[in-house]
Amino acid sequence: MDEYIIKTTNLTKKFQEQIAVDCVNINVPQGKIYGLLGRNGAGKTTTMRMLLNLATPTSGEILLFGENRRKNPKEIYRRIGSMIETPGFYENLTGRENLQIFARLRGQQQKNSVQNALKVVGLHNETKKTFGNYSLGMKQRLGIAAAIMHEPELLILDEPINGLDPVGIQEVRKYLERLCFEKGVTILISSHILSEIEQIADIIGVMHEGRLIEEVAMKELHQRNRRYVEFVVSNENKACLLLEQKFGLTDYSVHENGSIRIYNNLEMRSKINQRFVEKGISVSKINISEEKLEDYFSSLIGGGGLG
Amino acid sequence: MANLLYCEFLKLKRSKMFFISVLGAMVAPVMVFAGLIKAKITEPNKVITYWDMLEQTNLYVLLLFGVIVYGVIAAYLFSREYTENTLKSVLTIPISKGAFLTSKFLMLFAWIMILTAVAWVSTLFLSIVGNAAEFSFDVIIQSLKEYFLGAFLLYFTMSPFVFITLWLKNLVTPIIATATVVLGNVALANEDLAVLFPWTSPYLIASGDIEKYKYSIEIAIAIIFIIFFIGVFTSFIYFKKQDIK
Repeated sequence: MDEYIIKTTNLTKKFQEQIAVDCVNINVPQGKIYGLLGRNGAGKTTTMRMLLNLATPTSGEILLFGENRRKNPKEIYRRIGSMIETPGFYENLTGRENLQIFARLRGQQQKNSVQNALKVVGLHNETKKTFGNYSLGMKQRLGIAAAIMHEPELLILDEPINGLDPVGIQEVRKYLERLCFEKGVTILISSHILSEIEQIADIIGVMHEGRLIEEVAMKELHQRNRRYVEFVVSNENKACLLLEQKFGLTDYSVHENGSIRIYNNLEMRSKINQRFVEKGISVSKINISEEKLEDYFSSLIGGGGLG
Repeated sequence: MANLLYCEFLKLKRSKMFFISVLGAMVAPVMVFAGLIKAKITEPNKVITYWDMLEQTNLYVLLLFGVIVYGVIAAYLFSREYTENTLKSVLTIPISKGAFLTSKFLMLFAWIMILTAVAWVSTLFLSIVGNAAEFSFDVIIQSLKEYFLGAFLLYFTMSPFVFITLWLKNLVTPIIATATVVLGNVALANEDLAVLFPWTSPYLIASGDIEKYKYSIEIAIAIIFIIFFIGVFTSFIYFKKQDIK
């Protein structure tokens, strides 16, 4: 069984009559990147704010590192790095001075942690510029630097690529992947851009109108949403044997009611069909799936796209 | 807590607000100095002493300008965390809301004391420049006592402005509130009720003028501390319960 770094049970947040987050059960396994996907206003930020103790849940439970966060908040939150929406820093100070304040408040540790964090996000040469004069992209980078500065075990990042240019987006993505892969850092990252989440996440959670409507491993999702040819046949065992022996196909899956999905060599479908018929296997249906991930999510949230 | 307080000072680096507040603390001494110059021109034989200068400045600071300046500083210290969106970064470190608020109150105290020192030193310097009379060690000691006692008591009356700032998250409302209080000070200055008005009584207590009024010093101090505790209590409760955006 996976060890969950974040586990919420029926997490709910109401603002007067409006339900912002509705009975959300998120399970983030250790050492994975969990992408929280949803349109603006879906409840992603509110969920993250509750995880970070910035907002009090109306009901529900949050377990962080397997513990109730209320029992030992100081120790638990020390292990977390975060960035919620546009990062906030003191405008009259430089990036370095801002990080030095946060390092000092954290009672930090290595002398070069500020410099290292600035280097990672490419701000180490910005020694004179105050935060008030930073561009949006630079602000975002500094927010990421502040989040990773103390080498946390869990990173919670809300729309971290907002305002970054394409090169910056790629750099951040690669860095996060490296953090997760090399250091085993668990990452919860939110975005309203499917392609971004798709490229980085191991697990994806889809939020819509305050509810978590899907939580699935990316691998499974790709499998589920790969382009395939579906044959509905009278004898699936015989058909599978034929696929392997005559066509050398192994990338297929068998489903209920005689359905076989073939994921490779789709252009061979007419030959396969012909061979099935020759061998006395009746084919009642041939179907090519054209569904893309984007279509799948659109169907999940009732159309209209994610952005 | 020492770290938190130290960081509060770090946050003021390059801050225009600190510079402006120092200028604000020098307004009363300059006004009194202008009065001295005017008196020297219109009544050349009139003797203006160090005590006159220091006493006048303290009156202006504690009853008029100080209330506004200290109130604005209180509002700035707390509101900047909202306007610069820094609460979500600081509180997730994690820093407890209680410790954070306490450090702000301590910073406010330190800032008020610094400005009091600025006002006192400026007045002394301008008294020397203006060739004031009757300098003595007793005057120095007594004026220092009155300045810092007055500022100390006035500090305790700032907590309602802190609550207003936390509640409305802007600078304008506390400024209006302090201006209203100053009007109250002006209206009540020569009335017995001045003792019961917590923003007037710090000056009356510090200067010793309270003895001339109907109500006792104990009542005045009790009211100041009641106001302080109401402001602190509501600020802590509100801040602790409030979600951070």
